Amino acid sequence: MTDKYLIEPDVNFVREIVGLGGDTLKKCFQCATCSVVCPISPDTKPFPRKEMIAASWGLKDRLVGNLDIWLCHHCGDCTTNCPRGAKPGEVLGAVRSYAIATYAVPKTLGKWVNSPKFLPILLLIPTAIFIVLGLITGLLDFTPGGEEIAQTKFFSTWLVDMIFIPLAVWVVAIFAMGLKNFINDIHENALLEGKTDKKELDFVGLIKALIRVIPTILKHDKFSECTENKDRATAHLLVFYSFIGLFIVTNIFFIHLYILQWHGPYSQLHPAKWLANISGVALIIGGALMIWNRLSKTDQTTAYKDWYLLGLVLGLGLTGMLTEITRMAGLAGITYWTYFIHLVFVFNLFAFLPFSKLAHLVYRTVAMAYNEYSGRQ
Amino acid sequence: MTEDKAAPANGSILVVGGGISGLTTALEAAEVGYEVFLVEKNPYLGGRVAQLNQYFPKLCPPSCGLEINFRRIKDNPKITVFTQTEVEKVDGTPGSYDVTIKLNPRYINENCTCCGDCTEACETEIPSDFNFGMNKIKGAYLPFEMAFPARYVISPQIIGTDDAKRCKEACKYDAIDFDMEAKTMNRKVGAIVWATGWEPYDATKIDNLGFGQYPNVITNMMMERLASANGPTKGKITRPSDNKEPESIAFVQCAGSRDENYLPYCSYICCMASLKQTTYIREQYPDAKVYIFYIDVRTPGQRYEKFYQKIKEDENVFLIKGKVAEVSEDPETGNITVVAENAVTGEKIKETVEMAVLATGMQPTSATAKLPADLKYNEDGFIINDFEKGGMFAAGCANKPSDVVSSNQNATGMALKAIQTLVRK
Ligand SMILES: Cc1cc2nc3c(=O)[nH]c(=O)nc-3n(C[C@H](O)[C@H](O)[C@H](O)COP(=O)(O)OP(=O)(O)OC[C@H]3O[C@@H](n4cnc5c(N)ncnc54)[C@H](O)[C@@H]3O)c2cc1C
Ligand code: SF4
Ligand code: SF4
Ligand code: SF4
Ligand code: SF4
Repeated sequence: MTDKYLIEPDVNFVREIVGLGGDTLKKCFQCATCSVVCPISPDTKPFPRKEMIAASWGLKDRLVGNLDIWLCHHCGDCTTNCPRGAKPGEVLGAVRSYAIATYAVPKTLGKWVNSPKFLPILLLIPTAIFIVLGLITGLLDFTPGGEEIAQTKFFSTWLVDMIFIPLAVWVVAIFAMGLKNFINDIHENALLEGKTDKKELDFVGLIKALIRVIPTILKHDKFSECTENKDRATAHLLVFYSFIGLFIVTNIFFIHLYILQWHGPYSQLHPAKWLANISGVALIIGGALMIWNRLSKTDQTTAYKDWYLLGLVLGLGLTGMLTEITRMAGLAGITYWTYFIHLVFVFNLFAFLPFSKLAHLVYRTVAMAYNEYSGRQ
Repeated sequence: MTEDKAAPANGSILVVGGGISGLTTALEAAEVGYEVFLVEKNPYLGGRVAQLNQYFPKLCPPSCGLEINFRRIKDNPKITVFTQTEVEKVDGTPGSYDVTIKLNPRYINENCTCCGDCTEACETEIPSDFNFGMNKIKGAYLPFEMAFPARYVISPQIIGTDDAKRCKEACKYDAIDFDMEAKTMNRKVGAIVWATGWEPYDATKIDNLGFGQYPNVITNMMMERLASANGPTKGKITRPSDNKEPESIAFVQCAGSRDENYLPYCSYICCMASLKQTTYIREQYPDAKVYIFYIDVRTPGQRYEKFYQKIKEDENVFLIKGKVAEVSEDPETGNITVVAENAVTGEKIKETVEMAVLATGMQPTSATAKLPADLKYNEDGFIINDFEKGGMFAAGCANKPSDVVSSNQNATGMALKAIQTLVRK
């Protein structure tokens, strides 16, 4: 630790962390068991003991821009072994939610994502956009005719892209703004806490480090080091790969439509369809497993933010598969409306990505890359 | 006080447990004129203190304190001592209890001169409980030199064997009697003091500290026995795997104490015990390094604090703030590596030492074996003193984790409470 550090406790911050699922943090008596049992924690400046004291002292600056909160994979080994029931794993989870809300603007959206009160608004936003834009452009047709059922006759592909392409731009922009501050903060914090001796931040080095950590991420190596929550790794892996799969599928269809000018629906024999179906099933299984794990782990705090995301993941998978099945079964009405709900879910997941827990996919990746770059033992 | 002495004893007092607390209670009550029955389940008095090498903070051998007490008991006709005896039943109310006690046979009578011939004759060897299984003793033995009552003991294991015959033949004083049988007795008493003490917490339950897995991880009570002149190594501190004189030793504080997963409370004495044991090591091995890993060092009171300050000055003693949470062994050398985070510097430390001592805590005996009386316990198994109800009291470590000084103070107080019950009757 540095010799001089002016302590500026932020009581509100402590309160918010408590509210986000860190209600046990005050029980910590700084024994440091957690830092030793954590399978991921490094030898220099290990976590999460120091994060626990920072949390109970309300040292917001030491936590929000601290890369260690992202290195944590929430495996729960520390929580199981903590002699005081302070649940460090849960506290770090709460700090992560806080950090996400800090880096994502507009902040109001962040608040909405973390509170059940605003769920109706979050669902209404896409619904309103779909209907208003659809009616104005005429790309939403509530009474599509014809023999063949095709989603695009009801909710035109043009309409989908008209909404989702600008949305993608907005998500990238928000992340870009957040990341700029985030990277500066974690670098500054790493220097302050002695995690690195690389004074100047070298972006080329950081990107090289990013490339080095990608295999670790793809293989979920860090996840598998955990003993306590091993079953979580499987569920996470399923959801993770199904998202990658769906991302690839979306891109393939995008190319089909705009470059090759082919219109759907595509044959079930199309390889991309295969990938889509496998990913859909993996998403449902993974999502259900995650919910099951949450329900069966009593020492894990599950806050609203977790349910929101899990609900979206499972809902997304279910509505997606249902749309497909009902379409093939010839149930026009049902398939169109399920598709509509499906798109509402996709919108939620996508538009609020920088604000929801799912943002960890960006922050954790960057934090792991920085840690690799820092040369920490 | 003079008044008390003159007052005729009004009923009698049962003291259960012959450790330092029970001895003090019994003596305090008897020396002001009350009749006392002292019931002890072991074949000897003294309890856990008898197993210690030295007492902190003065570092005198426990024999000095115990011996005086034994003499006072011997000289006091008001005290009847029952060893190898347990309470079976307690009926009645404060002021008039009916107690059933069961005396187990010792097979050796008062003729025993402690000549030791029976030990010579016996061939069977059994692990010594007194030394935590670190050595073996014969099936006929004296618990320790200063044992009171000064009489040999026959292990149940040799009953009915040829060894039993050999022992009996060897005894020149007709002291061995295999016809002895268990007896039950009833006694009427006005008050009962439970001084049933503590047990070292079972370190094999602490799964990350390697006890029971690695021979060179021992407990603090084992260290007391290793350092004792009458212990398994005749007082030389050597490590169990190869009897090597250790050049480096780590103490793991709060092993199983202050931990919701084991004992949630602080055991009060283990910080002082490790500091004391540091002096044992430093005296025997002037070059040995001692590493003490702690959450915080608890040395209550001025005298203990002074003791701590003195140890701190020793440049071969390293105090590290951080609890050991991982222990491993190098199977080649038998060396032990302990891992902790130094919470002051924020670095992970992996210290390899030749031997590690777990500072295990105290668990009340009443936590594992409930007593046959209507008593209240707290959630950790310590007996709660219900002064409203009165009649039965807990003294010493049966009531809370404590050192000898506070056990004695507490025992004196409970003797007085017991007397008050009788006087009020
Ligand atoms: C490693 C270590 C080192 C220590 N060193 C020191 C030190 O240096 N100085 C110091 O002041 N303190 C020290 N202590 C603490 C000290 O050991 C205790 O304070 C002391 O033993 C308390 O005495 P007690 O009589 O209450 O309990 P005990 O010593 O446990 O005596 C209880 C007695 O009751 C008997 N008993 C139990 N149940 C029954 C039953 N149901 N019926 C009949 N009899 C029963 C037992 O056999 C035992 O003889 C140390 C403790 C440890 C762990
Ligand atoms: S969180 Fe638990 S294990 Fe970690 S330092 Fe605090 S009390 Fe110890
Ligand atoms: S939850 Fe797992 S990864 Fe996170 S700090 Fe605890 S032990 Fe380490
Ligand atoms: S029992 Fe007999 S042989 Fe054994 S020590 Fe006593 S007197 Fe000696
Ligand atoms: S006395 Fe010391 S070692 Fe024992 S439990 Fe208390 S703090 Fe831990």
